[in-house]
Amino acid sequence: MNVPLNYYLFLAALLFAIGLCGALTRKNAIIVLVAIEIMFNAGILNLIAFWHYKTFGTMTGQMFAIFAIAIAAAESTIGLALVIAVYRHYKSVDVDEMKSLKG
Amino acid sequence: MQIAFWIISVVTVLGAVLAVTLRNLVHCVLALILFFIGIAGHYFLLRADFFAAVQILIYVGAVAVLILFAIMLTRNVTGTEGPREVLGGKWWAGASTAAIIAGLLFVVIRRDQLASMLPAGEAKSSVAEIGKLLVADWVVPFEAMAVLLTAALIGAVVIALEEVMKRR
Repeated sequence: MNVPLNYYLFLAALLFAIGLCGALTRKNAIIVLVAIEIMFNAGILNLIAFWHYKTFGTMTGQMFAIFAIAIAAAESTIGLALVIAVYRHYKSVDVDEMKSLKG
Repeated sequence: MQIAFWIISVVTVLGAVLAVTLRNLVHCVLALILFFIGIAGHYFLLRADFFAAVQILIYVGAVAVLILFAIMLTRNVTGTEGPREVLGGKWWAGASTAAIIAGLLFVVIRRDQLASMLPAGEAKSSVAEIGKLLVADWVVPFEAMAVLLTAALIGAVVIALEEVMKRR
């Protein structure tokens, strides 16, 4: 009836790789943040899957997922504020043009 | 159960792929919303009802709208750029890094013997129990998270308003 835990791990790994690919290849800083959100969600899906398959009856896995979601929300808030600050300064959100610190 | 897993997985992966490949930024966020809803469906399948609701409220409701506002504040949405405009320099290095890491993850998951197990019993999850645990056993991380979220809120306002405050 149920799918094995393997399937969820493969799905989460695939989603993580898609997010990583997007974060490393896209030029727009906002899409980089979108890709990082995808990676966060793949990780949280892993936490919930392990909770369901391994530690049913206790709530520890769900607690970890709650704190991961809260940290992801804080991260996206700060990230978008930084993107807006960078846009004010450079008039652009292309990550290739943010190279003031390049040696 | 199997068929539901496959349908929701296809929707989720499709949303993720479209979110990182589409050219129009608003379409990217719409695909991201599809991805978030797919993840919420997976949480329903895994009997984590509270997380399915939280996923829709926080991600679809708040994070997606936040990203849309950031797009509207930063650039005009044309969606008529060529491929050189969408991809950053040295994109092939990033793509091959992601492919190598995906291969490594797949190999490790395939080798893990424990990972193919099925749930040994019915998982139970209740919002009341989560609430009790948050103010009993997990109260210190809970308060730390409250401080973190307050700091993030104030920090976001300060970072975004920096130039305005300097001008005065």
